[in-house]
Amino acid sequence: MNQLAIDNLTFAYTPRQTTLKDVTLKIPTDSWTLFYGASGSGKSTLMRLLAGLLPKYGGKILQGKLQLPDGLTVAMMFQDPGMQFALDTPQHELEFALENLQLPSSEMPARIEHALKFCGIEHLCDRQLTTMSSGEQQRAALAVLVAMDTDILLLDEPFASIDNHNRSLLIHQLTLLQEKYHKTIIVADHDLHGYRGLAKQIIHFENQHAQLLDAAASDALLKSADQLAATVHHVKLPTASDQPILTLKNVVIEHGNEKLITANDFSFFKNQTTLLTGATGTGKSSLFKAITHLASYQGIISYDGKDSQKIKPRRYAQQVGYVFQHAVDQFLNVTVKEELALSLKKGQNPYFDDEHLTAALRLLGLSKLQDRVVYSLSGGQQKKLQLLLMLMMGQPVLLLDEPFSGLDFHSLHNVVDLIKTSQKIYPQTMIIISHQLEGLEKLIDRHVKLADGRLSYREEF
Amino acid sequence: MNPSFKLLLVLIIALEVSFTRHLTINLVLIAVTIIYLLTKRIRPRLFGWLFLMPLFPAIAVFITIAWFSPGHDYFYAWVLFSRIYVYVFTGAAITQTTSPLELTRSLEQNLHLPSKFAYGTLAAVNLIPRIKMTVKTIRAAGQMRGIYLSWWSPTLYFKAILHAITWSDQLAQAMESHGYVEDRARTSVHQIALTTRDWLILIVSIILIQIITFALP
Repeated sequence: MNQLAIDNLTFAYTPRQTTLKDVTLKIPTDSWTLFYGASGSGKSTLMRLLAGLLPKYGGKILQGKLQLPDGLTVAMMFQDPGMQFALDTPQHELEFALENLQLPSSEMPARIEHALKFCGIEHLCDRQLTTMSSGEQQRAALAVLVAMDTDILLLDEPFASIDNHNRSLLIHQLTLLQEKYHKTIIVADHDLHGYRGLAKQIIHFENQHAQLLDAAASDALLKSADQLAATVHHVKLPTASDQPILTLKNVVIEHGNEKLITANDFSFFKNQTTLLTGATGTGKSSLFKAITHLASYQGIISYDGKDSQKIKPRRYAQQVGYVFQHAVDQFLNVTVKEELALSLKKGQNPYFDDEHLTAALRLLGLSKLQDRVVYSLSGGQQKKLQLLLMLMMGQPVLLLDEPFSGLDFHSLHNVVDLIKTSQKIYPQTMIIISHQLEGLEKLIDRHVKLADGRLSYREEF
Repeated sequence: MNPSFKLLLVLIIALEVSFTRHLTINLVLIAVTIIYLLTKRIRPRLFGWLFLMPLFPAIAVFITIAWFSPGHDYFYAWVLFSRIYVYVFTGAAITQTTSPLELTRSLEQNLHLPSKFAYGTLAAVNLIPRIKMTVKTIRAAGQMRGIYLSWWSPTLYFKAILHAITWSDQLAQAMESHGYVEDRARTSVHQIALTTRDWLILIVSIILIQIITFALP
C-alpha cells in the first residue's frame, strides 16, 4: 500500500460538535500534499489524527478509520515553534529524540551532525532554544525530524510565525527531502501563496468536509492566492495636520539575539486607523509588546508627548489597550455575562450604553450565549467577544493583533461595521495587525509596512 | 560523584540534620561542602550570595530561639542557625556541579526512575521563561480592564493553571511526536557511570555522619 487511506472518518472533540464529517481521502506517499482551509476548518485535527496524537489527546472517532502504510513512521512539526521541545538546546533535543528511537549511541553523533548541517544550524546546536528566533526554532524542529529519518513528515502551519528568508529556506530543504529522500510531506496552511509548482495535490477543508481538488482547481486556487497577495488598495500618507499620539525615538526592539526593529523617529497618529503589515516574524507583535511594556526595548516610546515609561502603569493601561492575538488571553472571568459586566463597569467608551450593547451583541451573534463559559465558545465567537470587550473599555489607543483571524466574511463585515459606528461617536486611535486584508478597505486610514527592520508609511496595501 | 547518589546523600543529610540537635555535625558538614565547592571552582560572587542569602532567616531563627523562647537556649539557636546553612550549602553542592539534564539522565539510568517523570520534570523546568511571560500578559490583561491583579489574586492563578493545562498537553504531544513512548526502553547517548567509588563515597559518608552525630558529644 502506498497511500494514507482515510475512510469515511467522522471526528468530534465534544459530543455536540463534529470537526470532521465523513471524510474519505487517499493521500499518496512519496509526494507533497497541502491541507488548505480557514483556521478551525479541521486541517490540524486531521494532521494530529494522522500523527496518532488524536484521539489519544482528546476527542473521539465517531465512525470510519485511518490507515497508514505498514512500517512507515510519522513525525509532526507544530505551529508554535516554542512548544515542541522538551529539552533546552537543539543538541539535547536531537539526542532525546534518537534515544527514544532506541538508536545505538555509536550512530548518534553522525546522524545529529547530518541533521544539523542539513538545516544549517550547526552553529546553534548548543544555544538555548528559548533565545532563538522563531525561524531558527522551526529549523531546529525540522532537524529533529530529519535526524529521526521518519517517512511521513506532517507540518502544521510551520511558517505561521517565521520570516520569508527562513520560509524559503525550509521549503527548499523540504523539497530536497521529498525529491531526494522520497519522504511524504504534508503541510497545512491557510495561505497558499508561494506554493505554486511545489505541491502535487491540495486537499480543501470546509464545513467539516475535506476533499481532494483536481489539478485545474488546485492551480486556480494557487494562482488566485498569489493574485490576492498582490491585490492593491490605496490609502493616504500622513499629512502635516496629523497629530502624533505614539512616537518612537531611537527605539531598538530585539528578540533573543536578533535585532527586529530600529525606529529613529516614527509616529502613529491620533484618531486614525492604521494598518500594520509585514512578513511573519518581522516583529509586528513585538512592537505591540514594546508599546504596552510587555517586552523590553531601548530608546523612548512616548504617548501624547510624554515618555510612556514615566506614566504610572495603571494609568497607562487606561490609555493604551492591547487586543491580544489569542482571544483567551484577554478573558478574566468565566461566563460571557461576567465579562460583559466587567467591561460595562470599567469601560470608558460612551457609545456602549444598554441599547447599543444589546444591538452589538445581536450583530455579532453573541446575544444568546451570555451564560456560556468563555472558554467553550468557538474560535470565531471568542474573537468577536474579545473585540467587543476591548471596544467597550475604550482606551484612546487600541492595538489590535490579528483581530479578524478565524472570522468568516460575514462576521468580518459586522465587526468592521461595529468598529466604524463606535468610532463615529467615540473616535479612537487604532493600530491593526492583520494578514487578512480583504474587507478592511473602509476601515483603514493609513498603512505602515514593517520591512528590513524599519517602519514606513505606504500609499497602498 | 554520580548525580543521583549526590542527590541521595544530600537528602539523607537533610533528613538526619532535621531530626538531630547536633552542632558539631552541622559545622563539619558546612566545612566539608565549602571545601567541596572550592575544589569545583565556584565563582566568588556566588559564594558571597550563598553566605548572605540565608543570613537574614538564620538570624531571625537565632533571635527567636535565643531571646524569645522560654528556655533562652543558645545552643539550640546555634544548631538552627547552622542548620539553615547546611541546607543551603549541600543544596548548592548539587545545583552548582550538576546540570538538570545530567541529573535527569542519571535518575533514569542509575535509579531507574520512570523516564516519563524524569523528562516531564525537565520539560517543565525549560518552560519557566514562558511562564514568566504569561503571568505578565495576564496582569496586563487585567490592568487594561481596570483590574489590578496582585500575586495572590485567584484570577491570576486560575488563568495560569488554565495555561499550564494547555501546555502540559502540548508538551506531551511534542515529546510523543519526537518519538517518545511511555514505558518503552530508550538508549542513551551519554552513559552516566555508577562506579564502586560512588558506592564507597556514599556509604563511608553516611557512616562518618553517624559516628560524628552519635559518638561525639
